This record gives sequence, structure tokens and C-alpha cells, in this order.
Amino acid sequence: MTTTSLAKQKLSVINTHVVNIDGIAKVTGRATYTFDVKLPGMLYGKILRSPHPHAKILKIDASKALALHGVKAVVTGKDTLGIKQGIWRRYQELCDEQILPVDKVRYIGEPVAAVAAVTEEIAEMALDLIEVDYEVLPAVYEPMDAMKKEAPTIHEGVERNINVTRHIEWGDVEKGFENADYIREDSFFCGGQAHMCMETRAAVSSFTPEGKMTIYHSNQSAYYLQALMAGVLGMREGDIRVIAQYVGGGFGGKFELDGAIFCSAILTMKLFRPVKICYTREEDFIATKRRTPMHYWVRTGVSKTGKFLAREARVVSNGGAYTGMGATALYLTGFFHSFPYKWGGYRYDGYRVYTNTLPSTSMRGFGAPQAMFCSEQQLEWIAADLGLDPIEMRRQNGHTPGYEVPGQAYIDSCGLDEAFDIMAKWIKDKGKLPENRGIGFSAAGFMSGGIFNWFDTPYSFSSAVITINEDGTVILHIGATEIGQGSNTTMAIIAAETLGCKVEDIKVHSGDTDHCPADLGAWGSRQTLMTGNAVMRACEDAKHQLLEFALAKMGLNIVYDLDIKDRWVHIVARPERGMPWEELVKIATRGKDGQRIIGRGYYTPHRKGMISPAYSYMLQGVEIEIDKETGKITLIDSLTAHDCGQPINHLGLIGQLEGAFSMAAGYGYLEYMPYEDGKLMNPNLVDYKMIRATEMPETPVAEIDTYEPEGPYGAKEAGEGLTNPTAAAIGNAIFHALGIQMKECPIRPHMIVNALKEKAEKDKTAKKGK
Amino acid sequence: MIQDFTYLKPGTVKEALTLLTDHVDECKIVCGGQSLLIPMRQGLLVTEYLMDIKGLDELSYIKYDAKEGLKLGATTTHRAIEQSDVIKKHYPVLALMEERLASIQTRNWGTIGGNLAHADSAGDPAPVLMTLGAKVKLASAKGERIIPLDEFYTDLFESAMEHDEMIIEIQVPPPAAKMGAAYQKFNLLQNDMGVVGVAAMMTADANGTCKDARIVLGNAGVTPIRAKNAEQVLIGKKISDQLFVEAGEAAAGDADPVGDIHASEDFRRHLIKVLTKRMAKQAWEQASK
Amino acid sequence: MEKKAIVLNVNNQDYELYINPKTLLVEAIRDYIGLTGTKRGCETVSCGACTVMVNDMAVKSCSILAIQCQGMKIITSEGLEKNGQLAAIQNAFLHEGSYQCGFCTSGMLMATSALLKETKKPSKNEIKESIEGNICRCTGYNSIVRAVEGVANGKYKEGSL
Repeated sequence: MTTTSLAKQKLSVINTHVVNIDGIAKVTGRATYTFDVKLPGMLYGKILRSPHPHAKILKIDASKALALHGVKAVVTGKDTLGIKQGIWRRYQELCDEQILPVDKVRYIGEPVAAVAAVTEEIAEMALDLIEVDYEVLPAVYEPMDAMKKEAPTIHEGVERNINVTRHIEWGDVEKGFENADYIREDSFFCGGQAHMCMETRAAVSSFTPEGKMTIYHSNQSAYYLQALMAGVLGMREGDIRVIAQYVGGGFGGKFELDGAIFCSAILTMKLFRPVKICYTREEDFIATKRRTPMHYWVRTGVSKTGKFLAREARVVSNGGAYTGMGATALYLTGFFHSFPYKWGGYRYDGYRVYTNTLPSTSMRGFGAPQAMFCSEQQLEWIAADLGLDPIEMRRQNGHTPGYEVPGQAYIDSCGLDEAFDIMAKWIKDKGKLPENRGIGFSAAGFMSGGIFNWFDTPYSFSSAVITINEDGTVILHIGATEIGQGSNTTMAIIAAETLGCKVEDIKVHSGDTDHCPADLGAWGSRQTLMTGNAVMRACEDAKHQLLEFALAKMGLNIVYDLDIKDRWVHIVARPERGMPWEELVKIATRGKDGQRIIGRGYYTPHRKGMISPAYSYMLQGVEIEIDKETGKITLIDSLTAHDCGQPINHLGLIGQLEGAFSMAAGYGYLEYMPYEDGKLMNPNLVDYKMIRATEMPETPVAEIDTYEPEGPYGAKEAGEGLTNPTAAAIGNAIFHALGIQMKECPIRPHMIVNALKEKAEKDKTAKKGK
Repeated sequence: MIQDFTYLKPGTVKEALTLLTDHVDECKIVCGGQSLLIPMRQGLLVTEYLMDIKGLDELSYIKYDAKEGLKLGATTTHRAIEQSDVIKKHYPVLALMEERLASIQTRNWGTIGGNLAHADSAGDPAPVLMTLGAKVKLASAKGERIIPLDEFYTDLFESAMEHDEMIIEIQVPPPAAKMGAAYQKFNLLQNDMGVVGVAAMMTADANGTCKDARIVLGNAGVTPIRAKNAEQVLIGKKISDQLFVEAGEAAAGDADPVGDIHASEDFRRHLIKVLTKRMAKQAWEQASK
Repeated sequence: MEKKAIVLNVNNQDYELYINPKTLLVEAIRDYIGLTGTKRGCETVSCGACTVMVNDMAVKSCSILAIQCQGMKIITSEGLEKNGQLAAIQNAFLHEGSYQCGFCTSGMLMATSALLKETKKPSKNEIKESIEGNICRCTGYNSIVRAVEGVANGKYKEGSL
């Protein structure tokens, strides 16, 4: 018998069938979102937006609007402190956005003024009465144009409109290319994508005469918004309370300041009455942020056996008007472009360029879907060019447990190898496909939360406080945010497992900055690992306090190990000897002079490099059918092989993976944001197409169990990373079905028709040549 | 934001026509409202009076008789047409078209009369009904008139209907002997609006030549378009696959599409070419069975 | 514009409202009656978050005037449970994890409830088509399809959790 089997815990709650703890509220219509909040005396706000992509604001005259019966206030940039803010707080130069600009607008849809009125309708009528004089400036929309010397300056002092640059390099790239038997170069373009949260941006702000602000807001990080709002309002963080209600989706688009939160706050500070602002769907499309459009150039050198010797990639991304989380996306796209492989040499240079379009930012996958679209298609073509098996070629270069991405990241758990086995079998079992069908797959990896502290928080990345009541019920306070991904349930499961009680004993309070300890929130797949660790540690702290009393009460030899499972406190070696959970809690509370048992836990990653404490791995396979004459793609089947460490919340895990597939497949062939002269041409759900139930194929998931030592109970990322491989998998399926190479994402019907036409012409010429 | 209007709710068709005459030029008619309320909410459509005929049950009917053909009351819902056994039997193309018309919610509430009157060139029913030779019965306080659907559409969201008129019935002649009809729209989401749509109807004579053909293009111009050159390619001919290709090419020439973010003008023509070829073939296969 | 007094029957309860005739059904339900389970997600009748049942039919309450629904039976997601006992479809959603953020859930529940009223044993395609007019950005729909299948095959029944 080895010591590990003795030490290995039997899990009683984790990875069992647990119904989401918010479930009843959500299936009975009881769950209230910011969209539903109504406070006494509440006014309704609306935002006037710039019709110009680039213009100086010369004068704003709101007198006619103010004269309209029912209008209570109109605010403009002049009513603010004029502070330029940004979420990359650590770097002043990246704090570049005034939510209500004082003197200049930089994209169509940017807020210019806000109105509060007794009804939404009056507020909307008042918008038409505000007169704004603009001096229209020359504008630029494409990053390649914006970098030209003669391009208009979007931000003073920013040369050639280059907002951020990023360089990543390891190994010997030159030597790798020298030794390569085969080198391939390709250029790609990946478009933007709307987060398209079902709940549009919404905020209710209420400022009271004692100088305190309360904000109800649909968001992914209450703490970020509290801190950012304190900065722009010149208030102390502690005087601002941000409460996340039920949140109608986030996907990376709801942890920066938006017009709803900022304008409602400025209005309530003037009026001392609550002000609610809800975006329309059109506002949500034109005036939030989007996935970053990227131009990719990739050069890859391999040996004739398919060893990955060197890669060089350059990215120019369309940053839009402001930085937002774009700086992170620019780094992560370059980092994950190397994934999940070992490269002899790797070099990446990224340029994020300002343009007069909607700012781009983080969105589920955080730069990696673009990276994989380019990388995984090029690798497929290289395998075909060299006559290599695409799975085996990838496998021989794949990450393995214990690998260090030089100077970047340390890989502990890694289930990639098994994922290749699963995919190979799936493809083999499919056998010969009917005509016009194709199968493609793509590999990817992702992080479990970020390490680099660009926000400059003085707090632990995650914290938790657990309070155990005398009757055995438990209250968990976490700053983490439940945005539908099931975070509250995951944390309740971890708490119940650690304490040894049941999920129904635990009440979770999250996303309320007054009551919950700071947490960076729900982005970058961080909460399961980071908040999970904080919760586990808080529970261990509380449990330790409880077990001290159990040991004393039971009068045991101190070498005995005590534990709690399913509300039963017992000796590990003699599980029948023990006492009920409720009894122990009573004793412990009394023993502590009546103090409640409170456990505290926190987590900040250390010694894990600068990127992430752990990495998940996945392969996505898709089978598609293509109508060669029309270019229409139909999704037929799919397979997901996913290593997320130890699954915590099984139902939640499957839901996350299926959901990621639909969003990622939509990115691959449907979701598209065309701009003309800086204007988004499809800011509505008639013209912006997304996968609907009728387009979804079956989405079976093969779970690969690994154990991630850094994660709570071995858990790591699940659900965001699977956004990364799918667009590339669709591209690869098209390649295998039709022999054409799709270098633009989303892959739209006319592109397929045109590529087939080109191919037919090429084939004809080749035949003639012979 | 919808601009204020005065709401009119007639209890009978007669009352509706009187109200329409009283408020001519200032009155819009709402039935299911699935199309109308969108531009009203966007502030693009403003009206002094809104007359609601959704409750006019006397116009909600599906009648069929072998001599007269099909009669659809204007307030018949899409869902009723989709699920009607008599339509499935005699005009299957109509039921199949309805199955793919927007969401079930819209089909439950939206009506055939409302759809045709809205005169959206991307609408699904018009091309199919036009190939079937449908007519619309219009009524005003002055009387009734019947015009072929072919002559109903005049321009973008414009029809031959006078402002004091409303559609009260759609009439479809009985299906000809040895007739086949098919409709398909090109879209990426199953029940989405068509980027383009093509309806084709063909009849065969005893010798296996094409006796008649009608091809109508949806969203290929400001109104649904009869592809008359394409029809001529087929009518009176001994049908072959090559003729379907030629009909497709002719239809692409008949079309007058505009490019937008969903497809360029050229790609729309290409799609019309492909769909016409396919729909004519499908119609012919049914006809020559 | 002349305001109108109307009676709406929502979840078997009559509500007397005094409204501008342009009031949409979704506005009457949310803003006048105060039942906020029904959501709004677009302005173009595209997303289905506002789906309710009117006379057992699924309809989008953002594209119907409230005044058109007088004398009809309107059911919202709040009307599915009976005395704390959940409807079978609600239990199915819970156990299949057919919701994440929950914003589309009320609309999905009403669209699928209407389907099950019409067809006791819907095919997979019929289920998908019943929610084709409803966007869910979180789940990828398949868990919703499984829930409806679970009700149809008797796996989920009404009752408490």
C-alpha cells in the first residue's frame, strides 16, 4: 500500500449531480437582474451618442431638453472630473478613456451626454432636444491605415496610433528555421465578435446625502467596478458599494466601466435619486466593446518528420478607440498561438492599433480563438504538405506534464496525449464520409486565471469568509461573481466537500463589495481555481477550529486523524466513531465563548510564472457538410475531448463546454461585425447571426481526468478555453472536404464559393502544364 | 419608442372599412403586428390611427374546393396554414414554406394578410403564392376588387393597394394536373429570412414536355420578381438538366438584387442561379411523377 | 392619444390596467403588473426572451400590443408552478442544467411548455424548432432539448425538487 492511497481523499460532493443553487430562482422567474431592479423614487436615464467616428465637441446646449416636462438633469463631460480611466491601472498611458468625453469623441456610439427623467420615454425624447456642435475630424478605421504616417492622430502623443506592442520570444528562432526542412508562411484575418449577453448593459445607481453610493450592476467583477468608479468619481472605494444582481451573461464584456454605470452615477450624484440606465440591444452592439479583430502573419519551420523547430508570428490588431482589456488580449493571443506545443524557437510581435471604431477587448478565449484559427489551420496544411498524420505530427510536439514553456509558464497537469487518442478514434470510427462532408479538429489550451497584476490590486486575488452558524448552517461570502457559469454552485460544492456538510447547508453571498471580500471576479477562467482555493482554505480554517473541539470532546490520542463527511464528524480510521456535525458546531461555538466559527481563506498565485497557475487542454472535432454551389456550411456532429483537471460541478462543466461550442462555432462561420465608415452595419439581432437550436449538432464530451496540484481538489479551467479551437476545426473540416484553405474568420459562404472557383482554375492550369 | 396613436378596434369588416375611409391617409392597419411593430418601435413608422383587425375572426378561414381552389382569409395565421391538412394535401409547397417562416411564435400570431400587405420583398409567402397564380381580394367601403398577386407589388414596401383598401382574402386556383412546386431560400439559420429565395412551379403535359412554368424570385429586387426569361427557357421544352442550368442563368439576369452585408449583388445573382436550377428541377420531378 | 382601461388575465388572475394603447404586452406584464420573469433582449422580435403563452400558444410579448390580448389567457414563467410544486419542465431544466445566466430561461420555458401542450411526444427536430426563435448565449441549447425529451419520456414529472 502506498502512502498516496491512504492520503487520497474520497470525495463525497465534488463531481456528483448537484443542481445549481440558483436554479429554482432561474426556472421560476424569481431571479431578478439589474434589468429588473426598481427602487423608490427611481428615475430613468438615456445616453446621447456620437454620430461621428472622430470629432471635437465644441458646444453642448441642453436647455431645450431641460425644459421638457419630466426631465430632471442632463450631464456631459463637463459635469465629470474628466479623469481618463482604464482597467490597466498600473500603466497611466493605458488609462485613456473618459466615459463621457470632455472634448473629443473617437467612435460612433460614444456617449456625449446623459439625461435623467421620470420615464424612459421622456428621457429618450429629451435626447433629440440636446444640441451638440461638433467639428468633424478625419477618421481612420483599419489598423494598417492607422499606422501610416499621414493617418489622423486619435490620442494625442500616441505615434502612429500604436497603442500597445508585445514581444514574446524563447529558444533560437533563426537556428530553427535554418534547420527546417519545410517552411510555410500564411496570412490570416480574424474578425470581431459581439459578446451578445442576453441581458444588455444595465445599472442602477443611488447616491445619498451622506456621501455613499450604491450601484446595482450587471457585471463580472464588482470589485473592479468599485475601484474604477472610486477613481473616476474621486471617492473612496469604501464609500461605493457595487452589488451584482443575477447577471445575464458576461463573456468578457462586463468588467470594465461602461456608459450605464458611469452615467447613472454622475446623474444620481446631481439628483440624489436613484437612476437606472438599461442599454437597448443596438446600444449594446455599438457602444460596449468586442472581440479583437486581428491580422495574423505566421511563419512555421518543421523538420520532414514534423518536429516543430521554429515559429514566428506577427499580429496587428484593431484596438478601436480605447485600450480596455485589449492589452491583455494582445499578449495572450501571442502566448496561446504557441499552444499546446513545444517549439524549438518561438517569436511573437503584436501591435495593437487605435482606430475610430468600437474598442476591442477581452472576450471568451481572450485572443486565443484568433490564435488557434491561424495556428491550427496552418499546421493542418503543413501535415498535408508533408504527407504526415496530422494527429501524430501534433502529438510528437505536444505539451507534457512537467514541461516549462521557456521563461513563460510551468505545465503541471496535462491530458493532451489522451485527447489525441480520443480524437483519433473518433475520426477513425467515422470511416468514409458521404460526399461534401468533412471532418476537422483543432487542439488548444487555456489558462486558469491570470497572474500579472495589471490592475495593481493591493488585495489577494481571491478571498473567502465562511461563517458557521450554531445550527450547522453555513454562510459563504466571496467577492467572486456568478454570471451564469455556475460559480456560486461550484464554491458551495467546494465548501461542502471541505467542511464535510451538504450543499444545502450552504448559502452563498457573492459579488457585493460591502459584504464580500475583494476578488478579481469572473474573467480569464480564474474563479474555479483561485476563488476555489480561497474557499477551500477558508473552510479548512473553520474546520480546523471545529476539529480542535472534536478532539477534546472525544478525548482521543492525538495521533488520530479526524475528518467530517456528510455531516458526520469521525475518526478517519474508525469512521463509525464520531458525532453529528450539528452537535460539534454547537460545542465549538459554546467553547469559543459564544463566538461564531469564522474561517478565512485567500489565494494569490506564486512561483507560477507571469501568466497562469495552471493550463487546461482540449481537442475539438467537428463534422460539417458543405453545399459546394452555395458555400453553406451545416454542422453535422462534434466531439470535445477536454482535460479540466478534476471536475467539480459536473452539470456545470458539460453546460460550459456545450455553450462554448455554440459561441465558438458561431465565430467560425456566422458572427460577423462589418463596419462602413466607422459605423457597425448590423447592430441588431436580425442582421447579427448566431447559432440557434436548429443549427446545433450533438455535442458529446469526453472528459479527461487529470489532477492539477495547484487547483482546489485538482481542478482547473473549463468552459472558456473551448472557445479557442472550434473555428479552426471548421476550417480544417472544409480543407479536408474540399481542399481549400480558408484564411479569414468567420468563413462565409461566398468565400467558399470563390475559393472553389480559384481552385478549379488552378487545377485546370496545372493540368494544362502537364 | 412607439409614437402615440389613436387605437381603433372594428368589430366587423364593414366597420373596419368605414373607419379606414374616415381616416384615410392617417391610418395604418395592424393585424399580427410581427412586421409592423418593429419599424414603429424604431420610430421609422408613425401613424395617427392604428386599426387593429387581429380580432376579425370572420377573416380567419381556410376554405378549399376542387373547382374554386383555396381561399385564405386575411387574418389566418401562418401557423394555421402550416398545419392545415387541406393545404398539406393540395398545396404542400405552401405548408413547407410556412414551416420555415420565422419562429413558431411569429407564425402563431402573424397573419398571411399582414405579411402580404407589408410588401417586404424578402417575405416568403409572396413568391410561392405568385407561382401558384394567387390573387388577392381587396376591399374598401366602395367595394371589392380582385387583382393577381403578380400585379400587387409596385415598389419597396409598396403595393397596388389604395389607402382606403385592405386585403380580405387570398385566392389560389386549384392545382393544375401534373403540377409540381418548390420553394427554397438561402440562409444560414434554418428559419431566417432569405438572403434570396426562389419559388418554382412547373406543369407537364402528356408527352413529358413542360407545359407551363412560373419562377418567382424573393429578395432579389425591390419587389418579388417574376423571372420571365427563366420561365421561357422551360416552357414548351423537353426538359433536361441542361435546361435547369440555363433557366438558372436566365433567372440571374431577371434579378435586380442589391448588395448588402449578407451578400453582394454578384453573390446574390449566383445564389439565384443555383436555387432556380434546383427549384425548377424539384418542381419538375414532382410534376412529371 | 386616449388611454384605455383594459383587463388582462395573467396566470389566472385578472388585472385591470389603464394604459396607452401602444403599450406592448411585455411592458404590461413587467412594468404594470410587475412580473419580471419575462425578459426583453432585443427590439426586433429576434431573441425570444419575452416569450409567454397566450391561449396556450407561444408568442413574443414584445411584438404584441397588450390591448390585443384582452379576454385571452396569458401565462408567464411565474405561472408554471402550482403552490410551490414545480411543473415537469421546470424540474427538467433544473436537472439537465438547461440554463446558465438564466436570462433566456423564462422564454425557453414558455416556448417548450407550449410545444408540450401541442405535442406530448415531440421529436428532437420539433423541440429544436420550438425554440428556434429563442436565443440562448450560454448553454448551446442541447441541454434544453434534453430537458424537453426528459419530460416527454416521463423522466421528469411535476412536483418539488
